[in-house]
Amino acid sequence: MSMQGKDPENFTIGQNDANGETDCVTDVGTPLIKADGVTYSYRNGEQVSRGVTDVSLSINRGEFVVILGRNGSGKSTLAKLLNGFLVPDEGIVTVRGIDTADDDKIFEVRSVVGMVFQNPDNQMVASVIESDVAFGPENLGVPREEIEERITDALETVGMEKYRKGSPNKLSGGQKQRIAIAAILAMRPEVVILDESTAMLDPKGRREIMDTVLKLKREKGMAVVLITHYMDEAIAADRIHIMNDGGIIASGSPAEVFGNEDAVRRAGLELPVAAKISLDLKKAGLDIGFALTDEELAEEICALK
Amino acid sequence: MRIEVKDLKYVYSPKSPFEKVALDGISFTVNSGDTLGIVGSTGSGKSTLCRHLNALVKLQSGEITVGDIRLNSKRVDLKQLRKNVGMLFQFPEYQLFADTVKKDVEFGPLNFGFSQAEAEEAAKRALELVGLDFDEVASKSPFELSGGQMRRVAIAGVLASRPSVLVLDEPTAGLDPVGKREILELVTALKSGVTDTVIIISHNMDEIAEFCNRVIVLDDGKLIADTTPDELFNRSDIVDRTELDYPHTVKIKRLLAAKGVDLDTPALNAKELTSAILRRVKG
Repeated sequence: MSMQGKDPENFTIGQNDANGETDCVTDVGTPLIKADGVTYSYRNGEQVSRGVTDVSLSINRGEFVVILGRNGSGKSTLAKLLNGFLVPDEGIVTVRGIDTADDDKIFEVRSVVGMVFQNPDNQMVASVIESDVAFGPENLGVPREEIEERITDALETVGMEKYRKGSPNKLSGGQKQRIAIAAILAMRPEVVILDESTAMLDPKGRREIMDTVLKLKREKGMAVVLITHYMDEAIAADRIHIMNDGGIIASGSPAEVFGNEDAVRRAGLELPVAAKISLDLKKAGLDIGFALTDEELAEEICALK
Repeated sequence: MRIEVKDLKYVYSPKSPFEKVALDGISFTVNSGDTLGIVGSTGSGKSTLCRHLNALVKLQSGEITVGDIRLNSKRVDLKQLRKNVGMLFQFPEYQLFADTVKKDVEFGPLNFGFSQAEAEEAAKRALELVGLDFDEVASKSPFELSGGQMRRVAIAGVLASRPSVLVLDEPTAGLDPVGKREILELVTALKSGVTDTVIIISHNMDEIAEFCNRVIVLDDGKLIADTTPDELFNRSDIVDRTELDYPHTVKIKRLLAAKGVDLDTPALNAKELTSAILRRVKG
């Protein structure tokens, strides 16, 4: 796809747009990320293994999107395609209208879409927290004064400002992941992708990350894409995509997706405990609605009496 | 196999500026047949404690007895101890190393003095226990397998030496729901006949509630509770102080109690809770 705007500040959607017109990025309705018919396979000599097949989705400004699916279903491959870490074999991924296959624009893509991984210990590059957070913007060539400002802002957002001069190796897992998120925020992305970033944390660490995610969405209007195996985390999403065998087999609100028994079973997911109990009670003959959270379930049960 | 830990203390980097007390006056007993949960936040000392059980960490002060092996004695039969206490670390699939599944699983038994034939038999049995078909996977590279399968091969590698005690450090971390369920069902199956005593470190309170008959809580190197899951989740002082979480079933039961619906159950799993709600609503 060719870029129509010459000015790098003026990102445009390009010819793929249905009506052929160019939309300005400030347009609220324009997706930040758009994947269209994306297929990607891993090649190792003669061996070819399918990563994702014909996946289409869009991520909008301020949206909290969760991707669920079993190990090996293609979630991480999809995440890497969304920030240009991998380039599709077929189909197209655009980030703010920029084709991720366009080598010249890859830095722009990565500065819009930041990624946080599973193991907090593998993501630290410096021995002092503020240097770790400064690493991204320094590489983007941001002026020194502005870097200072960005560090302060990023650390405040994740609630770690008082650790600024400290060392990352004395932090808990949840705190390290918050620093990893701050390091991404310092690059001022519009989307943050968290690839199982809560998997290695204790309950407190997981709560810290979820609080941070919701804050980014609420206060910064950022889009967050969370890949997780924890159904509790998925309940808070605006939209969930379920992946199975490289493809998306269901999309919708948490209630829609967890209500889709077939998709849940095929993807090997487990229902949230409250949902499972509400369905079992219904099967046992009670006239009870579908509940996703513990609170909803308690209300449904009390409404029976 | 019975394990006794008395007044265990352990200090990292003693007498240096980095000195850190990791374990402080820990005493507890694990009885034959127990499934013991160990909970506490990251850095509370759970893994350090478990590493003591098969002498991966040198005892500094206190007493540990595993079966009839005293870890304080001058000469500890480390081989026998490590054969008795099988240990599965976090993300054990990263520890697979051999070029075939068979060699990987046989490695333990061969080192504990099994003959080649015995080791192969043990590997076969262990792979069957974890639900993998020996003929299908034996000659494969462990690295060709899926994440859940790799973890099961790693567990088979520990089981092949027939330990009496199995120590699992966050066995379900990073697995998808099906993988989690498989591992926990495997642990339950092992308890009937293979390994009589299981110790599980976990951050997942739903798992602790459902699978453990006893639980100990560590907080900053100290043991602050030695109890049953049912009692622990009634002790909000301990749960809140250590910033653990409650199992969903307990949360639901409490929400109902706050609305005047009291249930006659400890509610440690969804099935129990569902039946209790039905009894209450229909009865």
